[in-house]
Amino acid sequence: MRIVACVKAAPEDSDIAVKPDRTLDLSRAQWKVGSYDLNAVEAARQVADQVGGEVIGLSVGSEGWSGSKLRKDVLSRGLDSLVVVPGDPDADSFQTASALAAAVGELGGCDLVLLGAGSSDRYAQQVGNQLGALLGRPTLNQVDAITVDGDHVRVERLLEDGVQVVDVPLPAVLSLTSGINTPRIAGMKDILAAGKKPVSEVAAAMPGASARVASLLAPEQVDRGRVVVEGDPAETAQQLAQFLTTL
Amino acid sequence: MDFRLSDEQELLVENVRDLMARENWEAYFAECDRTHTYPERWVKDLCDLGFDLIMLPEEHGGLDLGLVTLTAVYEELGRWGAPTYVLYQLPCFDTILREGTPHQVETVLSYVGTGKQIWNSACTEPGAGSDVGSLQTTYTRRDGKVYLNGHKTFITSSAHVPYLVVMARNADDPEVFTEWFLDMSLPGVRIEPLDKLGLRMDSCSDVYLEDVELTEDDMFGTEGNGFRRGVKDFDFERFLVGLSDYAVALSAFEDAARYANARVQFGKPIGRFQLNQLKFCEMAIKLDAMKNMLYEAAWHYDNDGMTSAQAAMCKYYCVNAAFAVVDDAMQVMGGISVAGDHRIQRIWRDLRVDRISGGTDEMMILTVAKGVLRAYAN
Repeated sequence: MRIVACVKAAPEDSDIAVKPDRTLDLSRAQWKVGSYDLNAVEAARQVADQVGGEVIGLSVGSEGWSGSKLRKDVLSRGLDSLVVVPGDPDADSFQTASALAAAVGELGGCDLVLLGAGSSDRYAQQVGNQLGALLGRPTLNQVDAITVDGDHVRVERLLEDGVQVVDVPLPAVLSLTSGINTPRIAGMKDILAAGKKPVSEVAAAMPGASARVASLLAPEQVDRGRVVVEGDPAETAQQLAQFLTTL
Repeated sequence: MDFRLSDEQELLVENVRDLMARENWEAYFAECDRTHTYPERWVKDLCDLGFDLIMLPEEHGGLDLGLVTLTAVYEELGRWGAPTYVLYQLPCFDTILREGTPHQVETVLSYVGTGKQIWNSACTEPGAGSDVGSLQTTYTRRDGKVYLNGHKTFITSSAHVPYLVVMARNADDPEVFTEWFLDMSLPGVRIEPLDKLGLRMDSCSDVYLEDVELTEDDMFGTEGNGFRRGVKDFDFERFLVGLSDYAVALSAFEDAARYANARVQFGKPIGRFQLNQLKFCEMAIKLDAMKNMLYEAAWHYDNDGMTSAQAAMCKYYCVNAAFAVVDDAMQVMGGISVAGDHRIQRIWRDLRVDRISGGTDEMMILTVAKGVLRAYAN
């Protein structure tokens, strides 16, 4: 079985500073593997270990992967190889999904594409669904469990009042919840093996931008309200409800 | 000098950081410390990352990554206040591989990856502390068997390790010291656990040996080689103690620095008072000196050999410098460092014990001075 796990090199959020004009200073931010993408890598590895097959990491944007350490990092977590599509990592969702779709075609197709809940920088949560549509494959998001069984995959989705179970024919494109698994911490053997795994580039055309960023600013700092509700549970609930209506 | 770690070393350190960040290990450590329990769940998690493979040679399934790599891992663990002192047996397979019989090697290596305690050596006796040569435990050959008799004390890990390497003298030729690989489940072995000020996540016991029946196959190393075996391994152990102490001092320093920036008295953070600034200056210098000394000694170990003087220097300097750092950190943190349950209390107790266990300060001084002066002897 051939599984593609989509990953993104994103700036480390804890290194991002907010400037006085609320714009973001990324100059000191290290690149890291998107934290939600690790769920996709982990799920892909688990499926490949269960039913056999290979896991290919696929990413748009080569800048973040230029350092050997980050490549080894993502490869150590369960990928068999990494394919990078050169392009702007800040491309909009449709551009990214288009590049990924073209790259999947260049790779000769696959049986399953897995994505995280969203990228850890923009978190638009759009790429998975758009990619599925572009590939013309069954597509689901909010996937909380997957079990591959022959030529289909049984998918569980968490709904507000229950669990939806869907049998999806393969190939399929699934976007996972961040709770679907706990990504493994790579062991030393995996780290050492990662340096020997193949990394390649696949060129894919990107359409023009279909969205425009009007502004990207950190939320304005607001002083804490320092509102304390006290009393028995019924009273505090009452006070809390009252307070919430004033917001 | 190139102080950079390789990609692989950095990733290992980052993954150790991830492991430490995944849960509130401090609560687990505090409970283990209170109840004298070996933190096996934590050690197992470390072994899952390959911790016990770092120093193990490749022909035995290890990764042979060297002491600089191990030093970087200890440093990160200590930063989280982790009790690295319990880990000493996992980088020390060298002793068993060098001295052990094939059966002893196989027995010990079967524990790799389990996180369980495996073995330790037992020298100290009521009448033989730093003066190991005064030990009274004997082995006696009788009817083709070997019988161990004696009383060992302050034996680290002995309550829970399945094997102890026991130093004893030949009852028929008292100048001959030989070690024996003792299965702790044998009849005649009795353990009396001791309470201890610090290092409480590892056991410390009296071990009584009464006519414990062994065979010649249980000899560890060669007959009469007891003390010569010990020297090289003592050096490694001393380095590890110094490394553990430096690493855990980092956690106290960082706790104190965060506190000094946040705690306001007389209208300003207490880190702005010059008496506290002197402490931070002294702490930072000591941490830096410890770090450089340890990494240099580790580099020598990996490249051209670490001397006994270097190892003793690491232990003597680091345990005292770490103790001073932690003591200063406590002073900065005031009441919360002595009342309540802050981890700095545990660290302070642990460090006090390390000035005695694994070779006293006084013995380290003798070793360092001897090594230094020898270079100028004609």
